[in-house]
Amino acid sequence: MESFYETALGLIVLIPMLGALLNGIGGCFFKADKAIVKAVAIGAVASAFVLACIAFAGVVQGHGDDPSFALTQHLYEWFSVQVDGRTVPVNVRFTMDALSGFMTVMITGIGLLIHIYAASYMSEEPSFARFFAYLNLFMASMLILVLGSNLPLMFVGWEGVGVCSYLLIGFWFENPAYAAAGKKAFITNRVGDFGVLIGMFILLSATGSFEFGEINRHASSLTMPFQLGSISLEASIATMAVLFLFLGCTGKSAQLPLYVWLPDAMAGPTPVSALIHAATMVTSGVYLACRLSPVFVQSPTAMAVIAVVGTLTALIAASIALVQNQLKKVLAYSTVSQLGFMFAAVGVGAFSAGIFHVLTHAFFKACLFLGAGSVMHAVHAHGDADFRDIGGMKKWMPYTNITFFISCLAIAGIPGTSGFFSKDMILHGALNAGEFFEFAPWLGQAVFGALALGAACTAFYMFRLYYLAFTGEFRGGHGHGHDDHGHDDHGHGHHGDPHESEFGITVPLMVLALGAALVGFLGMPSWAHLPDFWNEWLDGVVAGLPNAHEGHHDSSTGSIAAIVGTIAGVGGWLVARGMFKDKPWHAAEHLSPLHQFLMDKWRVDEFYEAVLIRPMTALAKVSAGIDRVAVDGLTKLAAGAARGFGWLMTRAQTGEMHAYSASMAFGIIGLTWWVAYPHAHIDAAEKGDAVHFVAGSGLGYEYRWDFDSDGEFDTEWGADKRDVSHAYDADSAVAAELVLVEAAGRFSGKYKVRIDEVSGAVDLSTRHLGDGWRTQPHGHTPPSVRYEEGKVFVRPGASSVKVNGTSAEGSEIPVLPGSTVQFGDFAKVRVDAVVRSTLAVRNAFGNLDKTRVDVVVQPKAPAHAARKADKNSSVMALRSEAQ
Amino acid sequence: MESLSAYFDKTVLAWLVAVPFLAAFAVLFTPRQSVKFLRNFSVGAMLVEFVISWHLLARGDYTTAAYQFSASYPLIESWGISFNVGVDGISLWLVMLTTFVTPIALYASWTSVETKVKEFALCFLFLECAMIGAFVSLDLFVFYVFWELMLVPMYLIIGIWGGADRVYASIKFFLYTMVGSLLMFVAILYVVNAYHGVTGTYTFDVTQLSQLVLERQAQLFLFGAFALAFAIKVPMFPFHTWLPDAHVQAPTGGSVILAAVLLKMGTYGFVRFAMPLFPLASHAFAPTLALLAVVGIIYGAYCAWVQKDVKKLVAYSSVSHLGFVMLGIFSVTQQGISGAVLQMVNHGISTGALFLLVGVIYERRHTRLLSAFGGLAKGMPLYTLLFVIVSMSSVGLPGTNGFIGEFMILNGTFLSERLPTAFVFALFASTGVILAAIYMLHAVLKMFWGPLDNPENEGLSDVSGRELTALAPLLALVFVLGFFPGVFLEKMNPAVDGFLRAYNAKLIESSENDEARVLKADALNGATRGDVKLALGQAEGDK
Repeated sequence: MESFYETALGLIVLIPMLGALLNGIGGCFFKADKAIVKAVAIGAVASAFVLACIAFAGVVQGHGDDPSFALTQHLYEWFSVQVDGRTVPVNVRFTMDALSGFMTVMITGIGLLIHIYAASYMSEEPSFARFFAYLNLFMASMLILVLGSNLPLMFVGWEGVGVCSYLLIGFWFENPAYAAAGKKAFITNRVGDFGVLIGMFILLSATGSFEFGEINRHASSLTMPFQLGSISLEASIATMAVLFLFLGCTGKSAQLPLYVWLPDAMAGPTPVSALIHAATMVTSGVYLACRLSPVFVQSPTAMAVIAVVGTLTALIAASIALVQNQLKKVLAYSTVSQLGFMFAAVGVGAFSAGIFHVLTHAFFKACLFLGAGSVMHAVHAHGDADFRDIGGMKKWMPYTNITFFISCLAIAGIPGTSGFFSKDMILHGALNAGEFFEFAPWLGQAVFGALALGAACTAFYMFRLYYLAFTGEFRGGHGHGHDDHGHDDHGHGHHGDPHESEFGITVPLMVLALGAALVGFLGMPSWAHLPDFWNEWLDGVVAGLPNAHEGHHDSSTGSIAAIVGTIAGVGGWLVARGMFKDKPWHAAEHLSPLHQFLMDKWRVDEFYEAVLIRPMTALAKVSAGIDRVAVDGLTKLAAGAARGFGWLMTRAQTGEMHAYSASMAFGIIGLTWWVAYPHAHIDAAEKGDAVHFVAGSGLGYEYRWDFDSDGEFDTEWGADKRDVSHAYDADSAVAAELVLVEAAGRFSGKYKVRIDEVSGAVDLSTRHLGDGWRTQPHGHTPPSVRYEEGKVFVRPGASSVKVNGTSAEGSEIPVLPGSTVQFGDFAKVRVDAVVRSTLAVRNAFGNLDKTRVDVVVQPKAPAHAARKADKNSSVMALRSEAQ
Repeated sequence: MESLSAYFDKTVLAWLVAVPFLAAFAVLFTPRQSVKFLRNFSVGAMLVEFVISWHLLARGDYTTAAYQFSASYPLIESWGISFNVGVDGISLWLVMLTTFVTPIALYASWTSVETKVKEFALCFLFLECAMIGAFVSLDLFVFYVFWELMLVPMYLIIGIWGGADRVYASIKFFLYTMVGSLLMFVAILYVVNAYHGVTGTYTFDVTQLSQLVLERQAQLFLFGAFALAFAIKVPMFPFHTWLPDAHVQAPTGGSVILAAVLLKMGTYGFVRFAMPLFPLASHAFAPTLALLAVVGIIYGAYCAWVQKDVKKLVAYSSVSHLGFVMLGIFSVTQQGISGAVLQMVNHGISTGALFLLVGVIYERRHTRLLSAFGGLAKGMPLYTLLFVIVSMSSVGLPGTNGFIGEFMILNGTFLSERLPTAFVFALFASTGVILAAIYMLHAVLKMFWGPLDNPENEGLSDVSGRELTALAPLLALVFVLGFFPGVFLEKMNPAVDGFLRAYNAKLIESSENDEARVLKADALNGATRGDVKLALGQAEGDK
């Protein structure tokens, strides 16, 4: 029986989906009023939020007794697959435990704020309903992603958010660059999804389940080597599965090498950037890693890869963010960089730190994006805002300014803010990872060092952004619609001084900033004897390294992490303050090569263009060309050959009388020969000892038979002798055929050998008879059978021999065709006779033709023994051999 | 009412074949001037057919692998030919797909087919009769007759109502598929003859013929003949080149039927005939066919990507999608084959809808070149929505029908024990998932997004009520199949299980035969004898 809380789970997903449907149909095609659209969209998310809170309360209630407590709602069986003959159902089943619970609340909560914000921000948008339909659909997909209890269901959400992201990035589809960015996002994500699919299959075949719970329970069995056909790879099953899943994460969560779509994704409306491309969707990779953390920790190799990739992503993206000149561009690279931090945490086994950073990041990054949106709203910049056009926003936008500043403090990791605590937890985790990577104990320290550098960069570029945008003089007011501002769909009612945005925008900002400031206190360092609710909360569902608990309390590493983190954050801030506070903005005329390189984002897009996209396009063109020329060419060649042959035939139609009469003459000669000379042909059907012969018929044919081919015909000439039967006895054989009747019951009737004068003796061996022929335990000489002048002799070898059930002795035992010879206990061989029959045919012209046919017959056994095994071989197709 | 049901239980399959035929007969005697009546009558007859086909769903017992509604009407007794019909959980869905899609295709055609309406209706009705006949036949002779009969109306549909190059395309279609089938007929006769050699009776009944265990060598040749016919029809790489031509030239309705139903004949033929008759050869050929399937998936996708004509793009995407189906079948796993059958239905729905959608824009713009479009989303939002949904279903997005089929096929391939290094097969096939996104989104981008810069694209009317009526059932199924595939799978699985059990049992038996054959070969020096052996007691062994 489902509890009250559990019933809520399905509704949490269903209500936003319904909202999407209503707005999609009603808003887009029946032109519903914007107020109604707004009410439906916000109402749906608000209801989902309330339900999420209620369900979460249920989880909190259960969590006290059992840290791995989960609410589950089973809706129906989606489909099923079979593994090793066992049916594995794939269910539409939602579960909420400590991990997915907090994710659900976070997603619906931040989603609600962003919906409220968007209702104001997008108020002048003509496709208002379409926007909210997409946004609600996104919420539904995202909630399926976190609430799904198994991999395929999670995958529904995983791809669903991808589609919504595609649609929302290309929301202003008339701008080709935006539409292309959407496509790029979807395809890049698909590369990752391919990894998730394969990872899923590996886990299914290894654990026999798609359910997260089951997979995690069987995680320890995944350390066996991965089997590729019959080859065992170096890598374990866990390594392969985790690496493939991680490929999916690099797509969805914008890690190297698949991060390239995210900066372009900022083409979407700003609330989308905040909700999807900062707070929720892009963190689903981290969620997946935490969800399957027991599997992830089975493979130090894969974890090392994740740690390195995460760290590199954090550093590279941060370096690019240092020099970018547009608000959202900086924030985009900052997001990539922060996601790198999260994966570095996952890689060093600090899963809970990674997911903690997801939470804090959701607050401050959403706030930053929305703040940037508020600024853009104020100066009527669309798409993105360049530093050229803004500056000194502090003066006009007090609320935006203060919330933006708080969030900058948080992302920079200034002590006391949420970002400090989560980043500290990551750094601390990296320092404690040493022993986990046996092959590279220095990896933890290296990650720590690199992340500290990344943290300093973060503080620098964020405060550079803040000071350039909010302090100094306002530089805008001149340029709308220059190249970067592709979209001009908004109504431009008034130009002039910037202004603070309306409440619909500032209230969400304030709530988010409050969160950015405070949520960090959920996870204070326990080494300093502060309460760490976070790790306690997730303890039951997220795995950690074996030494995680001691690590949390290790005050020496803890204090190092805290001090280094503080120095990095504050240091970056102070440097940026000195360089940019109240300074005028001037774009450098000539950039240093390094600066230019960073400005060009390490030229990664160009690199991919050159090594992936162009070769693939070329391959596609070549394929299409091959298809037209070669594959279809072969078809045309075949058609051409037929046509050519037809043409050749027409060449015979010369119209030359003598050529026609010559060919006619040859034809007549041929026909005459065919009529004048008979053609002998025999069909024979054997039935026991008798054979039924049928000769080929022809004009005026008479037949004469010599059944034993001794040269003397046994019948007279007669036209009625076409169809005759003859019974054979054991003496008429021209050869013998040995038929293995029984040997361990296995080859009955299937093994046959013909022996005649030419082939002489045949050895029967174990392969034919099985093992039972041996009477002496160490007898090696197999029995053999010899044919000589119509007689068959059996040499028993090391076997005992019975002929027709009677024991026979001697070095060579004569056997008549039609007898059954038993070797040892049960291997039986029947001796059949091959008889040869000759047919002579003459026709009315007196011309003669002859042919012979060999037939295997089973002559009547001379003795009393009946052929018991006959039923096995009564059916035989025969072949006549015309000669 | 009860007696009517009971009557239909015995005769429903015969009626399903007869109704379109009788309707075609009626059309024959209708004056060609009454265009409106002809249009309504032909679609109406097909709807009646659809209603009748629901009887299969409602009254059949698909919890077993046994054929339902089987009936046998002797045709030529001395040759053992009878109109022997039956459906199981596999053919059920293909019959349903046929009766479902055909009226839609015809209904959608009535906006564009203005000339020779009577003949068009006639062709469609004959076509439906032949398609249903081929799906329900359990007699190889009757199957072959229907199989070839299908070609004629489709040949006429392409050749008369097609595009500019219609004659070339229709002859290519006809000859290519016909030539492949001839060898199959020879093979059928060989099998029947071999069966006669063993039992002394002539029969074309596939359930009886598949009791026969043929020798390996014979199986290889015979399977080759069947496989050629089916592979051309599927079409499998490299026998696919008739398809883009036929699709591009065919009228919309023709393309829909071609993609939705006709191509399924090939894949269905493998499951129903080629594999049960020749398990040893299927086993031997499975890796090769799976390899060709994977090549087809990737190659078809690449070719699709750079097509300039959107209809050709969709045609090549069929090559890719049918590659998935073939891969699923030759993974010889339960979910691989179930997934393949489901994917046949899915492909019928998605690609059928795509062709309808392409027809919609073609009627407005009289071009299908991607370069002629751009920014259509501005003026045709509903059309865009429908196209994007169907594209996503074609791409295999979870929640749509395409996902379940592809997922089960890939999973089946991954777990297959019959394919050497199944992992590698699955890995390469899965890249098709990426490529599908590339070519479909490429088409969507070129058609719908971007500025509306071609003045000819301005002021186009959005999808009309009539067009929406044709599309809506397909769209609905996209989601029904996506969310509730269990409805379909639960009826399909027992049949697939039964198929696999029989196939594996026969494979094991033939392998033993085969082992004996090898022994025989080295002793006998090539003198073959005992070509065939009746697999006695095999049916009992299964139970």
